Amino acid sequence: MDIPIPQTVFYLFSFIMVAAAIMVITVRNPVYAALFLVLTFFSAAAIWLLLEAEFLAIVLVVVYVGAVMVLFLFVVMMLDINLAPLKEGFVSYLPVGIAVALLMAAEMLVVVWTRDRFGPEIYPVPAAAEAGTSNTAALGELLYTNFLLPFEIAGVILLVAIVSAVTLTLRKRSGVRSQSPSHQVRVKRDERVRLVDIASESPDGRSD
Amino acid sequence: MREQLLIAAPELWVLLMACVVMTVDVFTSRERRGIIHLLVMLTLMFAAIITLRGDYHSGGTWAVTAFSETFIRDPMSDVLKLFSFAVMALVYTYAKHYLRHFGLYRGDFYTLTLFALLGVMFLISANSLITVYLGLELLSLSSYALVAFNRESKRGSESAMKYFVLGSMASGLLLYGMSMVYGATGSLELQTISETIRNGREGDVLLVFGLVFLVAGVAFKLGLAPFHMWVPDVYHGAPAAVTLFISTVPKLAAFAMAFRLLHSAMGPLHADWQQMLVLLALLSLAVGNFAAIMQTNIKRMLAYSTVSHMGFVLLGLLPASAEGFGAAMFYVIAYALMSAAAFGVLILLSADGVEAENLDDFKGLNHRNSWYAAIMAMVMFSMAGVPVFIGFFAKWLVIKAAIDAGLIVLAVAAVVFSVIGAFYYLRVIKLMYFDDPLNDKAIEAPVDFGAAISLNGILMLGLGLFSSSLIAICMASFSYL
Amino acid sequence: MLAEYFPVLVFLGISTVIGVALVTLGGLLGPSNPDSEKLSPYECGFEAFEDTRMKFDVRYYLVAILFIIFDLEIAFFIPWAVALDEIGWLGFNAMLLFVALLIVGFVVEWKNGALEWE
Repeated sequence: MDIPIPQTVFYLFSFIMVAAAIMVITVRNPVYAALFLVLTFFSAAAIWLLLEAEFLAIVLVVVYVGAVMVLFLFVVMMLDINLAPLKEGFVSYLPVGIAVALLMAAEMLVVVWTRDRFGPEIYPVPAAAEAGTSNTAALGELLYTNFLLPFEIAGVILLVAIVSAVTLTLRKRSGVRSQSPSHQVRVKRDERVRLVDIASESPDGRSD
Repeated sequence: MREQLLIAAPELWVLLMACVVMTVDVFTSRERRGIIHLLVMLTLMFAAIITLRGDYHSGGTWAVTAFSETFIRDPMSDVLKLFSFAVMALVYTYAKHYLRHFGLYRGDFYTLTLFALLGVMFLISANSLITVYLGLELLSLSSYALVAFNRESKRGSESAMKYFVLGSMASGLLLYGMSMVYGATGSLELQTISETIRNGREGDVLLVFGLVFLVAGVAFKLGLAPFHMWVPDVYHGAPAAVTLFISTVPKLAAFAMAFRLLHSAMGPLHADWQQMLVLLALLSLAVGNFAAIMQTNIKRMLAYSTVSHMGFVLLGLLPASAEGFGAAMFYVIAYALMSAAAFGVLILLSADGVEAENLDDFKGLNHRNSWYAAIMAMVMFSMAGVPVFIGFFAKWLVIKAAIDAGLIVLAVAAVVFSVIGAFYYLRVIKLMYFDDPLNDKAIEAPVDFGAAISLNGILMLGLGLFSSSLIAICMASFSYL
Repeated sequence: MLAEYFPVLVFLGISTVIGVALVTLGGLLGPSNPDSEKLSPYECGFEAFEDTRMKFDVRYYLVAILFIIFDLEIAFFIPWAVALDEIGWLGFNAMLLFVALLIVGFVVEWKNGALEWE
């Protein structure tokens, strides 16, 4: 029997991804929720890899799994959040949530279900890239030429993120005792050492 | 490359100055913040000059694209940008007074609003799905931070959180819709998308599916019912100076975004999106006007009135005709000016470290200062759509466009709702002229504030009496359709 | 191209098997007889003062966010470096502007004292 490997891998990872995503919103402990989110991201990266988006897949792992979620996990583990109120209302909102979700799923199915509208016949699978094609180089060639403007706007957005982070979280605290290295380096000898001319004294207490 | 940079010169200028303002801010002392204000005003002035000097006006219709078709400059974008600069100048003048009064006079306000303005400009000039999205994100991210600008205010942080969560969801919806459209047409560029659709993809369900999400994203940004939940909370929770900003300039960008996405890209699917927008327009008119009547807080009242005003803007978008778009554009410009004046007066009434936000604060304003009461009265008349004020012409034009397109029922509904809506605008006037003031404190304002708000108030009347030239400009922007 | 990633898949499979096996074997074979003293938190012999969880200084988030922003920017450098030969001066200048924006951000946060811990 011939098992198509890409399809198997796709179903495996998408099953893990959906299951992990459901766990993110249903587990009680936020630490577990964060860990399941990591698993979701990781499975998404695997699916991206299947779509031959190597670079994005790796960036997802490095940036989201490696940096964002780990930092987030630290906070969640340390924070004194009371777990009980977080789950309040989960049951009472559940029927509405399920109704909306079902409605949306039904609407999507209307579109996706019928084969002649949304199948490989209409949207054929693109040819697989040859071995040795560098996805990263292809991305780079487009990103810095054709998509120059979006790239720079992305830079501005990151700049805004820096400014907002500083605006929203930076507080000057009064009464903090701290060292100021620049002050320490710039210190002059005169500020620390005072040379005093003291007349020498003779043993019998009479100065000359 | 040089020509491309020249096409985007206003954006580059604002970006450069935003960086300069930011750097100057950290290197100047607290007492010399005036420099920042001056710099920002100069930025706006020169941005307007640069925009006006862009020499693309040869021939009646023109549109130039740059940066591999991701950026477009056409008459609509220039007009909207010029009005963005003008309204921003008003916003800064009013905001300075507020920020000083509440001890929030920091450089961050100026940098964040400049970046938001940059987002507005990119959104107005977007010619590709990706530029639309990034411009929107730039605007939204700055707005989230601005709403939480007063860190001492719990309500501000709460509303920023709500804004952020709902806004991210809307961005997600929009992005999902964009991915569907990209998947179906294989292009991000708006004109290519519409051409691909025209060449035999009209009936593609996947496109309609994507369109639903695009409409949802646009509706959220415009604050249309049923995507309006964030509007009252954000208007109420944010500092008045920020509400002033959020309720004015971003609306100009949201209109441009609606035009670009719905017409430039999805124009061939007009029949599909028209149905969705009719529903949104009816809901917005109903929700906005009825909910506004019940408010005692003026910021919330103005928030719901925004919802109904945006419903009117939709009336102009619905027919997808040159007249309709021109009318809608005139409407958003008029709305931005009216809203700026309304929040300007609101800021003026703030005293003793407490924001004026209840309707009662307007009681007897006529006794305290009849000129400012007159300005507020003009704004309210204009918002209600009383003849000779600018708001009347705006309403008249969009309703006319709707009737021309055969949407008689909707037009009648709009008239009925605007009559209902007149009630709460007139109530403010009644409070100002026929009630006794709660306190007799005189209202003081710096000279520039007084001048700006007087100009703003006179514009309500002046642009109403001489509306034909502005209307002609708006109509000319779409004459190529 | 996908075939090149097959070893990674195999590696993932094997490591998952080993990881699961180690945990289950440890749980099955190791002695386990807990009592309340063993399970209580241990703090140098005396009664625990407070909960392990505590209020977190907001400064931590600031440093974390700034780190993530710069981390993201690094991600933009990689395709640029790989494709530098093809994109020419245009691409080079594009990155120059991008970095200039960054530097402005860096100057601002430095001067604001966001990098100091106090």
